Amino acid sequence: MSPRIKRFFGGLLRVVVLTLFLLAVVLPIYWMAITSFKTNPEIINAQRLTYWPEIFTTENYIALFRLFNYGELLKNSLVVSASTGICVTLLSILGGYGLARYKFRGKDAMLLFFLVTQMIPGILVIIPLYVILSQMGLINTHVGLFIYYLIANLPFCVVTMRSFFERIPYSLEEAARVDGCTKYQSLWRIVLPIMFPGIVAVFVFAFIGAWNELIAGTIFISTAEKWTIPVGLKSLIGKYNVQWGVLMAGGVLALLPTAIMFACMQKFVVEGLTAGAVKE
Amino acid sequence: MFKLILYLLGLAVIVALAIKLMGPRLNNRTKMGLEPYLFILPVLTLLVLLFGYPLLNSFIMAFENYKLTAPNDIYFNGADNFKKLFSDRDIRLVIKNSFIYVITAVSGQFLLGMTLALALRKKFPGRGLYQSIVFLPWAFSAFVIGIMFRWSFNGEYGVVNDLLLKLGAIKEQIAWLGTPGLSLLVVILAMIWMGVPFFAIMYLAALQSIPADIYEAADIDGCGVIRKFFLITIPYIKPTIIMTLLLRTIWIFNSFDLIVVITGGGPASSSQTLPSYMYTRAFASYDFGLASALGILLIAMLGLYSVVFLSATKYNKAGDF
Repeated sequence: MSPRIKRFFGGLLRVVVLTLFLLAVVLPIYWMAITSFKTNPEIINAQRLTYWPEIFTTENYIALFRLFNYGELLKNSLVVSASTGICVTLLSILGGYGLARYKFRGKDAMLLFFLVTQMIPGILVIIPLYVILSQMGLINTHVGLFIYYLIANLPFCVVTMRSFFERIPYSLEEAARVDGCTKYQSLWRIVLPIMFPGIVAVFVFAFIGAWNELIAGTIFISTAEKWTIPVGLKSLIGKYNVQWGVLMAGGVLALLPTAIMFACMQKFVVEGLTAGAVKE
Repeated sequence: MFKLILYLLGLAVIVALAIKLMGPRLNNRTKMGLEPYLFILPVLTLLVLLFGYPLLNSFIMAFENYKLTAPNDIYFNGADNFKKLFSDRDIRLVIKNSFIYVITAVSGQFLLGMTLALALRKKFPGRGLYQSIVFLPWAFSAFVIGIMFRWSFNGEYGVVNDLLLKLGAIKEQIAWLGTPGLSLLVVILAMIWMGVPFFAIMYLAALQSIPADIYEAADIDGCGVIRKFFLITIPYIKPTIIMTLLLRTIWIFNSFDLIVVITGGGPASSSQTLPSYMYTRAFASYDFGLASALGILLIAMLGLYSVVFLSATKYNKAGDF
């Protein structure tokens, strides 16, 4: 085969592969979105599945808002996720800086400790934490949930932040010091502004991690007015009867914030995920 | 409270011993030596108190008769929980399921993620947009992915059955979620769908860090595409492959929200894995002792796996993830 034909088939293969991946990602999302705009009789018409709503309706969304105080769910999710995001980011900046800029006794052990925390199943911490939080009167509160999200997201974020700090040459800080900055001024004025993408990435990790979490939410929170979005929507799945239209509408609304966040910050997120894995 | 104090004291003794053992070397640079600890102290304190202490409790509970329904009847019962665990008639099935689930989901994600990364390697117009769509599942919650798959694989009104019928691949509707074996398959498919972007993101970044001149040199030497892949690409990104496989295997093994949402472990425990079983047992009967014993079993398996995996791949930089 001549190189030109070879290249042609290579390109064709690539287009086919990329199209298949796109379809695999888009079709399930499409199916969920389209179901949320169908009327209930159309959704459960087993004889004839429709791939575009015959009657376009927003009744599922209206039903969703009637079933839940959706504003309340949204507020709960926002409060818990944003506080997790902010606290994790601040703590990661401190810890990441310490791990990146100093050589000290026990550093390897500390890194190993962070790795090990990644291996421990969340449920193994959730069960005893449930007992401890009940003793402290923090069960069924957002504080309790926040505590779990904090420790669940912290190790990964600290190590990610460390990789971001390691990419910034130390000479930059030294230069600032020569120009009369104190150590903390050089950190605050020189390093952190350059670190902005890393800080955004870590915030997004922690925020999305808390926003999407289901298990601890269902275990720790028992009253409806304190539910986060996934916990609230889960209550729609009854044992025998599922209102699919309403559930799909809820799914669409739950996805929107994280999808928009991800689409806008994809570059940062990708950098953040890969910061530790690929050494340049 | 007593346990917490004991735990902190024990920890202090270990740290003190460690410092004493390397005392002379630390003293020489105490001035520099304290500063890094100040930076890390907040994180470490939180993790030691809120992660380490509950975990220790878990270990203790595993050897106790600990039922939340009988808070005044808690006592050590030796290995009773473990005996109960291994005489459980479902436990073999659950362990078998865990292996099937982990192996198929990890290999599926790995192969598809690698394929996607290779396809995305060369620049093309619209690649940025394409990536923000195809990588989207990374940001989705397991709950929403769960209901999406549960609905698509619905036996009566599901789109998957409809498409397969139209294509003539099946003669009649399949009860995906009501058939043992198939319900676990749906969970695995959802898990693969959710995890491919992570692998693709990691491998794409690793691929882009390979210098182009190595390939040029190989071209001059007359290397074919396949040989280039196995002799240059794979060895070059091997550290990334090892770390992603290790961490993701553990992560997939531990994650069970998809199971809770899609099948609830059913029908009849046929799609339970160890962690989901632990969750079900803990909150169906509130027998935290038994659940913790399950947790110990889980950790032992993961630890064994990590050690074997890391030594088999001769990778010793585990701390550097």
